[in-house]
Amino acid sequence: MIAIKTILVAWIALAPLGAQEIKIPASLDRLAAKASEVVDVTLDANLLQLASRFLSDKDPDDVQVKKLIGGLKGIYVRSFEFEKPGEYQDSDVEPVRAQLHTPAWSRIVGVRSQKSGENAEVYVKTGNGKIGGLAILVTDPKELTIVSIEGSIDPDQLNELGGHFGIPKVDTRKEAGHGKDE
Amino acid sequence: MEDFERQLRDALARKEQPPLFEAKVFAAIAESKSKRWVSWRWEALAASLLALAGFWAQHEHAVRDRVAGEAAKARLQLALKITVTELSKIQRTVRTTEE
Repeated sequence: MIAIKTILVAWIALAPLGAQEIKIPASLDRLAAKASEVVDVTLDANLLQLASRFLSDKDPDDVQVKKLIGGLKGIYVRSFEFEKPGEYQDSDVEPVRAQLHTPAWSRIVGVRSQKSGENAEVYVKTGNGKIGGLAILVTDPKELTIVSIEGSIDPDQLNELGGHFGIPKVDTRKEAGHGKDE
Repeated sequence: MEDFERQLRDALARKEQPPLFEAKVFAAIAESKSKRWVSWRWEALAASLLALAGFWAQHEHAVRDRVAGEAAKARLQLALKITVTELSKIQRTVRTTEE
């Protein structure tokens, strides 16, 4: 009886962690009207499965992507580019940030550039010693990007995608004359 | 007994067919064959139309599935492109800061 109670309590305590997914607030969609460029990608488990069926088993790039998305439950991207600064407020991003400031999520990178005003954060959701989700939040005076990846993901695999599958190879070496970041 | 024999003899006795009996039988057979042929043709036509409709529906479903799949693949490509680009930018900034 005690064992059943313990399992029940543990399940109730852990259930919210398992169900914790980043919900993109509907208020962000209002920004689309002000933005000069909008990217809105919603790929749930079904669409990922569908896309996976159209990835070749012979093409090495497709195989790599297939492997990467094999453990994913969803990919959600919202990206807005504005003509001028100040088109969105911190309050627009706050609901997303609040969801990431929970025990399930850990911020692994936080970059803030005083010169450009860019603020970038990378969060991972960990559980059972594995990464169960990845979230990227990039705010810039004229740009806002939110990426939420649900499911088991290996960031190294993501990095290896550069130069493949139509994804440009990004040079991660130091740029000449880059501004002072903190 | 005699009565029974007479009845049996009458029953087994060869009787002449009424006039045009043979023609009537052949006409009936021909009509029956014609009806069966018409009925068979309609059935074949209906079956062909049904098969065609089934093939068309299957083809349409495959086309729709392919379009949706290719669209999902393109969206996946875009999502991964943005993700990798943003991660690389962050990585580059972190390296710059470290150096």
